[in-house]
Amino acid sequence: MMTQRSPRETKMPRTLRLAAATAGAFLPIVFGASAASAETRGYVVSWFAVATNNPDTPVNCPQQAASTNKVDAYADGNQDRRRRDTALLDGKPVPAANYPDLVTKDPGMETVVGKYAYGFDLGGSETNKFIDPETHEKVDNQLWRAIGCVPTFQYTPPALPYSETAPWGAMIDTSPAYTIQVTGNDLSKDGPVTVTLDRTLRHLERDAAGGVRSGVTYVLDPSPRSHNVLTGEIKNGVLSIKPAFIYLVGNMPFYPQIDLQNAHMRIHSEQGGKLVGYWGGYADWHAWVYTFTARPGAGADNIGIYWALKKMADVDPDPKTGENRKISVTWRLEALPAFFATNADGKIVATASDEGLGGKILTTPATQKTASADGVKK
Amino acid sequence: MKVIYRGSLVLAIAGAVSLAGIGLQTLANAASPAPASADTPTTLRLTPSQYRQSISDVFDSSIKINGRFEPEQRDQGLLAVGARTENFTDSGFESYYHIARGIAAQVVDTRHRATLIGCTPKSAASRDDQCAASFFKRVVPALYRQALNEAEIARSVETAGKAADQLHDFYSGVRLALTEMLVSPKFLLRYRNMEAAADRPGQERINAYDKASQLSYFLWNSTPDAELMRAARDGELNTQKGLEQQVDRLMQSPRVADGVRGLFADMFSFSDFESVSKDPAFFPRYTLLIKEQAQEQTLRTVVDHVVNKHGDYRDIFTTPNTFLTMDLAALYGVPVVDRTENGQPQRWVTYKYEDGNVRSGILSQASFTTLWSPSARTSATSRGKALREHILCQRVPPPPGNVEFKFVDDTGNPEFKTTRARLEAHRSEAMCAGCHKLTDPMGLSLENFNSGGEYRSTENGVVIDASGELNGKPYQGPQGLAKAVHDDPAATSCVAQRAFAFATGYVPPKDDRWRQIEQTFSQSHYDVMALLRAIALSDLAYSRLGV
Repeated sequence: MMTQRSPRETKMPRTLRLAAATAGAFLPIVFGASAASAETRGYVVSWFAVATNNPDTPVNCPQQAASTNKVDAYADGNQDRRRRDTALLDGKPVPAANYPDLVTKDPGMETVVGKYAYGFDLGGSETNKFIDPETHEKVDNQLWRAIGCVPTFQYTPPALPYSETAPWGAMIDTSPAYTIQVTGNDLSKDGPVTVTLDRTLRHLERDAAGGVRSGVTYVLDPSPRSHNVLTGEIKNGVLSIKPAFIYLVGNMPFYPQIDLQNAHMRIHSEQGGKLVGYWGGYADWHAWVYTFTARPGAGADNIGIYWALKKMADVDPDPKTGENRKISVTWRLEALPAFFATNADGKIVATASDEGLGGKILTTPATQKTASADGVKK
Repeated sequence: MKVIYRGSLVLAIAGAVSLAGIGLQTLANAASPAPASADTPTTLRLTPSQYRQSISDVFDSSIKINGRFEPEQRDQGLLAVGARTENFTDSGFESYYHIARGIAAQVVDTRHRATLIGCTPKSAASRDDQCAASFFKRVVPALYRQALNEAEIARSVETAGKAADQLHDFYSGVRLALTEMLVSPKFLLRYRNMEAAADRPGQERINAYDKASQLSYFLWNSTPDAELMRAARDGELNTQKGLEQQVDRLMQSPRVADGVRGLFADMFSFSDFESVSKDPAFFPRYTLLIKEQAQEQTLRTVVDHVVNKHGDYRDIFTTPNTFLTMDLAALYGVPVVDRTENGQPQRWVTYKYEDGNVRSGILSQASFTTLWSPSARTSATSRGKALREHILCQRVPPPPGNVEFKFVDDTGNPEFKTTRARLEAHRSEAMCAGCHKLTDPMGLSLENFNSGGEYRSTENGVVIDASGELNGKPYQGPQGLAKAVHDDPAATSCVAQRAFAFATGYVPPKDDRWRQIEQTFSQSHYDVMALLRAIALSDLAYSRLGV
């Protein structure tokens, strides 16, 4: 396979190979001259979506589980449909799905009451904390609490939430990809690294099975808009970053932008060098709602989702209204090995590798598959 | 050969398009088997690539050819030889008919009619014999590759006129007449008519127009252009000087690359890619696009080496220079920078491997390693057989009917983890051992490339032993194989034979004229262009062959 080196290639130590590949002008900008011996591995994000965790619906969403009419249970309850779907703009009725903040009545959509969700401890309120099923730490993820009872989000990794698959699929065939570069002196060992996020100029390439093809060479977008340089660390094969601000331009119908404050990251390598893990932080809840409701296929639950996020938003109060403007979120991502080149001179600045970060090929913890009814690993 | 159209279907189609009495004489005539005699000319059915290129040249490259061609037969290693013995089945003829209808409809559609018809009828609702005649005078000789035949023109004009009268549409009339021409054997078959040589009493030579056709399809893989037809008409092709002028003109044209591509696509059996599929669960990088790009990579590599650089033919097996796309580069595990804008097709990029890389040369390219592998595993035997037959022109006997594949297919057998081990077990059966000695040592040296064309160093956890042997000389790995083939005299002899057969439809007789061609090739340091020129100028290529 691609990432298995030919005998000729393997004769050259990895550090030398990559040092040669990264000897262009790019690295000194990022790391300074001391990074001359560093190696950089490249990855393209091949899956990106809200981190869902729904091993057992009755535990997370008991009303829905008890109801024979699941639409009513999560979306409405007691109101009649006509009233719920109507909003007034300058006194004239307009589709509620397009103007959710003009619908003044909260339909009372059910939200998650279970204990477990993926995420990070962002320093939020203790009363809102979930337990992360992998790390077993207390985490903030109010987005999941708000939307976890929407059936199209009720999936557990590695199953992909239905709500995100269509827009993601549309995006990867048309829009530039997100990239991750991991740079360190020896990525086969634990240690400090630099994580650089960018976009490519071209869309992702598909493979024969309809997935994303690994080992492709992409040219990095030279625009600074989506260029993020983060300080990170590999420990026991898990990559993390120091909390930072992440901004990536996106495209509808996926996300018009990824705008994450107090961003955290937890990623490990799996078979073939694929990265699997989570990003978390605080995002603008209005932006999330409008992104979701603008996607093709979004519909009856829009108003309920709007109100749920409005209620669950946990930080950044508006000075005038006092309402929180940001909500804790976690995204699950996968990324495949790729080569990256600069647009200016075509120099290769990151290489594809099937080797694990920190020298470790890990597997996704079996937590999701064996979670009991209350989400606890047995 | 006998031209055989199965009658019933042809007549049915002829009736369907004849519109109440418009005679499609060609179709009806074609339905009757041609008489077989010693004077029956050799015919060669146009290959799909020749058909496509001819339509593009006679009309326009924007004319789409939709439909499936009659399956081709490979004989003596080439479809070009098999073309000599191909007939038209009912279903095959139906395919040609549907393709012809599609082409004719495009030629007269509103997008193309102004430029391709070349005149405007007095009324679009009725016949205009003058306008139709001007169109057919241009098209008939180009499609039939023969001298302008006034009777032929008149018949096409009459067919178009009658149809226009009945359909009240000039363009429909032209469309029907053109459809008829495109299913005519005069278009679908190339002829090698022999005639008495006026300047050499007692000797015969190929008809000048047929000579023009042979030359053009050999060097351009397409129908003769107007200048070549003029040279045929004026008798210049029957003189050595005139022939040289035309051959050099054709070879100096960039279109000679099309002829070289046609030759090597046939020699390397790329038509067999139609039936190649890989299990996406095992080989996700092997997409439909890769299948096309793999062939294109090899053809670009060959054309660049032999046409642009006039390189030694043998070096195509070892050259580090090639062309890659983003997808192919990903398959091969190397970076290739394509700065094409988002949404645009991938482009081809020149690529040079470092010295000694296992990917150097065409044998390690996906066009070879994937074509000669089953869908989910490699086959050292198939690869070795293909090397013998397609690269070295050596024949490998077919397996016996009762061959037992129990060891070869059992890729999960813990006792035989590698292809080499499985084949060793297979060869332990005496009836298998003989032929496998011919094929397996060569094929096993490509075991580092899996069925999907990707590099691998292990199989089932065991490090792959890619040692091999050719002509009693052992070597190591793909580079060793490339060097061994490079140094094997059979490789140059083979390409020379294939080039001659591609030109004529016949394997060359081993006489002095052939030896002269081989000597010219050798003295040119195996410059394929020199070989093609020698064949194109040789009397041998235009003599009665196969007798």
